[in-house]
Amino acid sequence: MVFAIPSYFVWLIFIVPYVGALVTLALRKAGRLGDFAAVASAFVSAAFAFTMLLPVLEGHSPNVTSVPPLATSIPWISGLGITVGVLTDSYTAILTNIIAWVSFLIILYSLEYMKEDGGHNRYFFFVILFIGSMQLIILSDNLLSLFVGWEMVGLCSFALIGHYWKDETKDWVGTPGEKALGEEQAYSPSHAGMKAFVMTRIGDVAMLAGILILFYYSGTFNYHALAGDQGLWFQHLYSNGLLVPVGLLIFGGAVGKSAQFPLHEWLPDAMAGPAPVSALIHAATMVKAGVVLIARIAPIFYFIALSDPNLGVGTVQPFFMTVAWIGAFTAILAASQALVGFELKKILAYSTVSQIGYMMLAVGVAGLSTNFALGLSAALYQLMSHAIFKACLFLAAGALIHAADSKYISDMGGMRDKMKLTFAAVMIAAASLSGIPPFSGFWSKDAVLGAAWGSGQYALFAVGALTAGLTAFYSFRMLGMVFYGDRSKRLAQVEAEGHHVHEPSPIMWVPYSILAGVTVVIGLVASAGLVIPSLNVDATLQAAAQSYIRYLFPNVSMAAPSGTVEAIPAGLTLAIVVIGFFAAAVIYMARRTPPTRFVGETGFMHGLYNFLEKRWYINAVYYKVFVNAPIAFSRWVSDNFDYKGLFRVNEAGSTLGVAASGASNWVDVNIIDGAANGFSELGQSLSRAFRRLQTGVVEQYALLFAVGIILLIAFMLVAMWQAGQGVFLP
Amino acid sequence: MIDYLTGAIVILAGAALLLPLLQLSKRSSEKLPGYLLSLALGVAMVFLLMFTINPTQVSWSGNLIAPDKLGGIFALVTVGVTLAVALASIDYQKGPSNPVYYSLLAFTALGMVLLAYAQDLLLLFVSWELMSLPTYVLAGFDKKIRSNEASVKYAIIGAMSSAVILYAISLAYGLTGSTQISQVVQQFVNHPTALAGVATLLFVAGFGFKMSIVPFHMWIPDAYEGAPTTISTLLAAATKKAGFIAAIRVLLAITTIYVVTQSPLFTMANVFAVLAVLTMTLGNVSALTQKSMTRLLAYSSIAQAGYMLIGFVAFSNAPGSAAASLGLTGTIFHVINHSVMKGVAFLAAALVAMQLRRSDLKAYDGLARRMPLTAFTLAVAFLGLAGVPPLSGFWSKLILVLSVANGPYAWLALAAILNSAFSLGYYAWLIKRMYIDDPESTEKVKEPFWFVMVFAVMVGLIIGIGLFPQQVISFASSAASSFVG
Repeated sequence: MVFAIPSYFVWLIFIVPYVGALVTLALRKAGRLGDFAAVASAFVSAAFAFTMLLPVLEGHSPNVTSVPPLATSIPWISGLGITVGVLTDSYTAILTNIIAWVSFLIILYSLEYMKEDGGHNRYFFFVILFIGSMQLIILSDNLLSLFVGWEMVGLCSFALIGHYWKDETKDWVGTPGEKALGEEQAYSPSHAGMKAFVMTRIGDVAMLAGILILFYYSGTFNYHALAGDQGLWFQHLYSNGLLVPVGLLIFGGAVGKSAQFPLHEWLPDAMAGPAPVSALIHAATMVKAGVVLIARIAPIFYFIALSDPNLGVGTVQPFFMTVAWIGAFTAILAASQALVGFELKKILAYSTVSQIGYMMLAVGVAGLSTNFALGLSAALYQLMSHAIFKACLFLAAGALIHAADSKYISDMGGMRDKMKLTFAAVMIAAASLSGIPPFSGFWSKDAVLGAAWGSGQYALFAVGALTAGLTAFYSFRMLGMVFYGDRSKRLAQVEAEGHHVHEPSPIMWVPYSILAGVTVVIGLVASAGLVIPSLNVDATLQAAAQSYIRYLFPNVSMAAPSGTVEAIPAGLTLAIVVIGFFAAAVIYMARRTPPTRFVGETGFMHGLYNFLEKRWYINAVYYKVFVNAPIAFSRWVSDNFDYKGLFRVNEAGSTLGVAASGASNWVDVNIIDGAANGFSELGQSLSRAFRRLQTGVVEQYALLFAVGIILLIAFMLVAMWQAGQGVFLP
Repeated sequence: MIDYLTGAIVILAGAALLLPLLQLSKRSSEKLPGYLLSLALGVAMVFLLMFTINPTQVSWSGNLIAPDKLGGIFALVTVGVTLAVALASIDYQKGPSNPVYYSLLAFTALGMVLLAYAQDLLLLFVSWELMSLPTYVLAGFDKKIRSNEASVKYAIIGAMSSAVILYAISLAYGLTGSTQISQVVQQFVNHPTALAGVATLLFVAGFGFKMSIVPFHMWIPDAYEGAPTTISTLLAAATKKAGFIAAIRVLLAITTIYVVTQSPLFTMANVFAVLAVLTMTLGNVSALTQKSMTRLLAYSSIAQAGYMLIGFVAFSNAPGSAAASLGLTGTIFHVINHSVMKGVAFLAAALVAMQLRRSDLKAYDGLARRMPLTAFTLAVAFLGLAGVPPLSGFWSKLILVLSVANGPYAWLALAAILNSAFSLGYYAWLIKRMYIDDPESTEKVKEPFWFVMVFAVMVGLIIGIGLFPQQVISFASSAASSFVG
């Protein structure tokens, strides 16, 4: 039975966290009460989200009745014809539930993790504010309110990365003193927060520009209205050569937020925040916002082009090609950096960047194939399984770092006996991340790579499959170094000092065990789905993707959802994954041979190792070009233009001709002298002030003022002369 | 039956003239003049609000006063800022010449109200001076070198700009035989001459001084830094806006330039566009390396003037079009928002300067733990100034950008977006310093009652207008159309 839910339920999914944020703030003097209020509002919000999911689980679309005053769409700024509303299709329902429940588990975990932190109220305030804003991004039916949520999550992310504002060395990310191209590669939490903010901001500017151009041509921010309108704006954009550029500008926002190449460098350093923040914002939710944005926009581009006989899909192929290749390249770039990482959370961060690359790849190949819903649902599948297993890994990492009292995996080792539960959870999540059946990650990766294969983009498939091999290697390398082998010297020393390695309290291990459990359940259901159609996860997600497309284009015809596994791509990928897994198992789990044997002290492998470890030198070059250079420029402007430049103007005064010197004279005689007389009675202190005036600063100001006027009038006269007119008309 | 505008004028003039009498009484409280002026300004605001809602002819004024919504908005904004300054001054400004200080504030407010409604060049000039002269004295009110130096520099450049305006007025009168703005503009358009062009450009330069347009901006950082910070508030949030209303009133003359030169290059839209880009870029770039809060706010204020000029570009590019009316709406809306945001930022800086006795940026490290309300206020104001949604500054910038996004000045829209993003760099860095960095001392600092009240109202406006921009936009839009006609 499909029961109807009133539209304000959907609004409450993001309004409740916002109210929770205010309550948390109001309770800042009331001890931990505010923290509980935040957790409670996260739960209520998730419960409202669940009402949307129930029908989807039964194979229907959510049935939402539009109830005023919070109808599904309400006027916002009537002067510009802007409305704000919520989406109610199955695709959105699944997305909002992933965010709501993963967020709830993480905020629950934070109750214990942050209990001794002095800034716990600030922490919970920003986390719950973040959850509300993230839901606003998911639920928005238009680009403008999405942008509002987009900026708010950015601010929360900035505040939370810099949570350890004291910048103590233990909270730094990277190893202080480590350098690449002479640039320091270790950052304090507040520096990392700033870096994240500025880098994502670059993408946001591109995105805002794209959205505004789109608005100018279409007169709307609303997805549905963009899809309607017979695509007139689309044709105008195309005929002006702006279609692909606008798509790419908006994609720029996604590149920044989702840490894709070339704006991927902020995410690894964002790990300076507390572990649950890394889990929530930089693994499970915010970094997916870019994928959500592209998933919202891409169908509009694709289906309008498809339905227009004069244009055809070919017109938007460059856009999808770029998205797919940026995704694939980011996937392999970040995976290669994860191969050599030693900081546990940083390895997970590289891995996150790499896995989001897969999602971008999926949306990209969707537009390159004939079955768009297939790619769109593969992106959702990957997003869902990644949100769950990566949140699990980050939360477990928080427990491990706490237990070993070090962020380096080389300081751990042999921890599987003492932390069996954590070991099991990490094992499941790592297997899922590597794409080993029957866990959820296998199915979702298969959906993405199957879509790439099916669209005929074999090169993209090859990059994706190779990345899967690297993923298996770094996942089990990490697992092996943490749990297998002997205890490291450092760990032995820490234990000798009386700090015993042990499982964390239940409020911490329960959330990540649940997440690991869900990974297994989704994997098993998906396996069963091969024989029992009603359990086919892939088909359910395809139906969800189609329900969003139908919301945009009610009349479009699409192939019925089918959840088959293509043997060739799945087999190829699995073979590469197995190679990666065995390599890591031999070196790091069984410890048969030391890894140094392969790298050596010199030679090609050593060079490659350094190259990967220095993040391909991209980060260092960014600092050289984009950070040091503008600061130098700003100083230069301030020094040379505002001060020295004026002195030069003053010195070059004679060359400015009679007019300028005349004006300067006039100022001297009439104004400076006159004013000096007029003000002289103000007393002794003033005369000292005048002495400073004699240094010429005011003269320069006045001179510039006069020069400004003269230039304006001179330009006018030149323009008149050029237009062939006498200067002094009657 | 006396109309509300006359009532407001009488109240302000009365306050200006009567307040100095308190100097005679030895027993009156130090805070009394502040309360009295605030009361007078409050009543004047109510009167102005009534007048704006239901404008009537002002019988005594002849053709001097235009009773339109445009004037109403500017009068309300400027008097509102003066009220905030007066309330903050109750705690800030102590000393024996107190009543004179408040009397001068009242004179400035009176000048700004008259200027907002002036539709005759003579009244415009008289009220311009009435507004400016008291601020020269106020800028030097602290008997300190820096304050006096600021005052003198400001006065000198101010006198120069007055001379320029006066010269422009004399040219206009000589060419048209009238001082009515509408008639002058009409004559300029009908009989374009080179001298009419010169007069228009001189108006741009003269008003540009108050509007803080590059290259007429040089005095601003010195004056804002040296003056008592409450007075910097007045200069940045109120008298600067008076420059804008004067420019808007005379703006229609702009079409003449094109007619005079016949050159597609030298159009007034091009002039404004170049000035806008120079102003916003120079302001933002220079703000990045400032070491003192007041100087930083001064450069940020210059940058904001650049955004406001975008509306002028949209207007002069196609007068009478929908984009022109949108641009003017954007300028008016941004004037309102900027007054609130920059006003409260300066007042917060004034409080910090008063309590910590310093205004260098180092004083702001970890401010959130010493003065939480002040730091919060500054953070909201900064985010608003940077144009972060959903605060008020975002909407006005959005409208300004939209007004030029479609047409030959799309590059200007892009420049504004880039500038806005760039400016977030230093605003976010300041918020980081206040919230994340360590303070030199963790001792709590008192945040006086009237300051907190003013902060609460203005922060409420920034967030409130941000969430529900519709009312203000339609108000600004109707003001714009009442002018465009």
